[in-house]
Amino acid sequence: MASNDAHNLVEPGINLNAPTCPNREQRAHGINVWYGQASQLLVEAREGKLQARDRDFQQTSGCALNFYLAVRLNTIRDAAVIYHAPVGCSASSLGYRELYRHVPVSLGRPENYDLHWITTNIQENDVVYGAGNKLRYAIREAERRYSPKAIFILTSCTSGVIGEDIEGAVNELQPYISAKIVPVHCEGVRSRLVQTGYDAFWHGVLKYLVKKPEKKQTDLINVASMLSYTWQDRLEIKRILGKVGLRPNFVPEFAAVDQFEQLSEAAVTAPLCPTYTDYLSKGLEQEYGVPYFLYPSPMGIRNTDEWLRKIGEFTGKESEVEKVIEEEHKIWQPKIDAIREQFLRLKGNGEKLTVLGSLGQGRLLAQLPFFEEIGLSSPAAMSQDFDNLILDEVEHLIGTVGDFKILINTFQAAEQAHVTRDLDPDIALTCPFQGCSFKREKGLTRIHSLRADAHPRSTQSGYTGAVACASFLLQSWTSKSFQKTMLAKTADSYKDWWYQQPNPLHYLKREV
Amino acid sequence: MAAKIDEIPEDVIYPEVMEAPRYSCALAGAYSTAVGIYGAVPILHSGLGCGIGQLFGQFYAGGQNAGGPQGGTSTPCSGLVEEHVIFGGEDKLRRLIKSSIELMQGDLYAVLSGCVPSLTGDDVESVVKEFREQVPIINVKTAGFLGNSYEGYELFFEAVIDQLLKELPIKKGLVNVFGVVPYQHIWWKGNLRAIKEDLRKLGLEANIIFTEFSGLENLIKIPAAELNIVLSPWNGLRVAKKLQERFNTPFITLPGVPVGPKQTTRLIREVSQALYLPAEPVEELIAREERHSYRFEEYFGDVMILAFPQPYFSVVADSGTAVGITQFLTNEVGYLPDKVIIADGMPEENREMILRELSENLECIIKPDVIFEQDSHLIRENLKRGHSLVLLASSLEWPIASESGAIIHITVSFPSFNRLILDQNYAGYRGGLRLMEDIVSKYCGPL
Repeated sequence: MASNDAHNLVEPGINLNAPTCPNREQRAHGINVWYGQASQLLVEAREGKLQARDRDFQQTSGCALNFYLAVRLNTIRDAAVIYHAPVGCSASSLGYRELYRHVPVSLGRPENYDLHWITTNIQENDVVYGAGNKLRYAIREAERRYSPKAIFILTSCTSGVIGEDIEGAVNELQPYISAKIVPVHCEGVRSRLVQTGYDAFWHGVLKYLVKKPEKKQTDLINVASMLSYTWQDRLEIKRILGKVGLRPNFVPEFAAVDQFEQLSEAAVTAPLCPTYTDYLSKGLEQEYGVPYFLYPSPMGIRNTDEWLRKIGEFTGKESEVEKVIEEEHKIWQPKIDAIREQFLRLKGNGEKLTVLGSLGQGRLLAQLPFFEEIGLSSPAAMSQDFDNLILDEVEHLIGTVGDFKILINTFQAAEQAHVTRDLDPDIALTCPFQGCSFKREKGLTRIHSLRADAHPRSTQSGYTGAVACASFLLQSWTSKSFQKTMLAKTADSYKDWWYQQPNPLHYLKREV
Repeated sequence: MAAKIDEIPEDVIYPEVMEAPRYSCALAGAYSTAVGIYGAVPILHSGLGCGIGQLFGQFYAGGQNAGGPQGGTSTPCSGLVEEHVIFGGEDKLRRLIKSSIELMQGDLYAVLSGCVPSLTGDDVESVVKEFREQVPIINVKTAGFLGNSYEGYELFFEAVIDQLLKELPIKKGLVNVFGVVPYQHIWWKGNLRAIKEDLRKLGLEANIIFTEFSGLENLIKIPAAELNIVLSPWNGLRVAKKLQERFNTPFITLPGVPVGPKQTTRLIREVSQALYLPAEPVEELIAREERHSYRFEEYFGDVMILAFPQPYFSVVADSGTAVGITQFLTNEVGYLPDKVIIADGMPEENREMILRELSENLECIIKPDVIFEQDSHLIRENLKRGHSLVLLASSLEWPIASESGAIIHITVSFPSFNRLILDQNYAGYRGGLRLMEDIVSKYCGPL
């Protein structure tokens, strides 16, 4: 059977001579619409049949720039970000000064840091006459004002459609600018898939920022950590790696520029989210021989064990890792068992509580085994997107937890509301970008905290995270008053017929 | 490395290239306006990120508010990608409008076109026209590069006037309120409710358009008003002028939403004069409301004078909020104005009113530096040169307030990530009380 590496399924190699990455659609047959059994999805994917399809009804859900990059690249500590865009494309960046500020210095947050971004504020006359000089001015202004170590240029639909020559401006100005200028091609119109934005960013990082290794740092583990992993997740990962004498190099959020430069010196690149880390991991291996693995993520006890074992293999610390796993199990397994006991008793008839969760491909792979571990069952999973990068892992997952239904969609709130209503899980997890699907009779809580959250309750990674997340879910079951009240007292977004017909993909365009 | 930046010959300076301006784009403003009208379904003809970008950058930033049943990820969007740039997005839009009408609960559909269809030249009007017989629908051209959120508000109402409104007989006592931009003016919901309540005491029915379940009806009755009240030195002014041209509705302009008794009395007097209301009951109302509000102000007298009398304060806000707060604190509570930074990018031609309000109309020998600045970096540099103990600004200033010596920071303007704002407001006779609750609560304690 064809594996993930089959060339007809995933484009091989990364071409850093190109100005940007290929789109996920091209690179790995990425899709964002599908509903059915995971086993069937796998068959279609292996046959190379995954294909982007249109919907006649669609809801706003994010683009390469405005899902992730615009919200979080501004946290790179000694860098500046320039949005070459109309003013609205960077509005989601307005929280930049506050992000991470609530993390206590005592928990390892640097006391003094300053974040910066600038918009070129493309206006109507720029659309006619070009905005290249404004971009040049913005680069110089960023250098003068902030003396950053790196300047990221994020492009937009408008800069793309009017044909702005980003590389031209970069090449012209770089000799005069101390900061390394890193163009990131994240025009919203370039791709249907928000993950193209991740790849586009890592392409810029690999091409412009990562330096040739001066020395190998055999204890350094690259960990690409995105906004859905909290400060406490970082502390937990740091703790367990520290126990075997290893150090994490967390990029990109809230990292310093030299942490990117050193990515090439690490012993291994380990995932939190494989779909997020994929391009970086493969690029670092191809260019600098840094090995990587993409599965599993350290979510749940067994996943964390395996994650650590993989790192142990790459760093020659197999026996130390086994010792840590044993120690940690002694502490945490009884706590997980106790929560599992409670979950199993809740229904009173021996049945397991059902939970509907997931978000991206990473959580899809990590959550289902974790839910099983804590005594929950998942009739289905939802994933923002799906591509051929994780086929072997999905096969492994089906082998572990059995077949399940899967809805692939990027925040399509009507489809998610339909599936949530139809499957009626005991606990629904929300992002909360799912419109009205939070209004229901049964359990509801968040998938993750989505912030630089420093509270132990929000941990999800590693051993302490498994326990925190499990008790968080247990706690969610204790009160349903908010979602029930909202269901009873407020209007739904959709007309009744939507829920009365059977197909969440009612508006999938039939012709290809 | 030696900076070689000076070797580049300096050419044109672009003031609009700036750090973190405190607004979003025209699409965002029109989108906020649509979401503020209950029963309106915005339909974004744009890239897929435009709506979610505004969920984060306009709705969450506007006091941590969700988009509601038609906003945020519930909002229909045509999701334009490269093939639509090349072949056009009209068919995609047609299918989206059709399905949105089928699926979404709504009374009015508002097609908001962003940058991409504007650049590629989609004929949106001809698509929208196909649905005009079927449902109330408007077509608003709101390319993001046309302007900021405030501009989007004007564009939305201009489309409403051109495409939806018809002449109606004048309804006695009906007045429309303009100039409050949903989400962008973070107090929009509470402010409008408070103003409506104060005008009701005058016997008037204020059509505040937003936050009422009769959203479409509220729009349709705009031409029936006797008077349009613009509570901003510039937002809503174009709307009021257009309504005057089209329906002969007169309008009055106030420098902002009134905060506390003095400003509210001024609003009541100006409205009464414009509508030729009999003086006696108006003056009775004013006396009654003022007496009660000031009786309540007595309650904060002790703690304020003991703990924190006559502090210097600075404001960073949109023009209307800045005037309202500065005048209240200066004229009624004895605070000393240091800097007032107007950050909404109001046009030059409207600035005279603001300058007058913040000099002649301040009852204090100390007059503030009034600075028109939108660049958050320059605002920050400017604040560092001040000496205010109290900083009334946005959540952007929360982490840097101490740089300027401020010991109290309160979010009163966009963005407001650190403050959930649902119904609270500083508007009307009793609005000053709530402002003082917020400020004094930050420093009061036992004797």
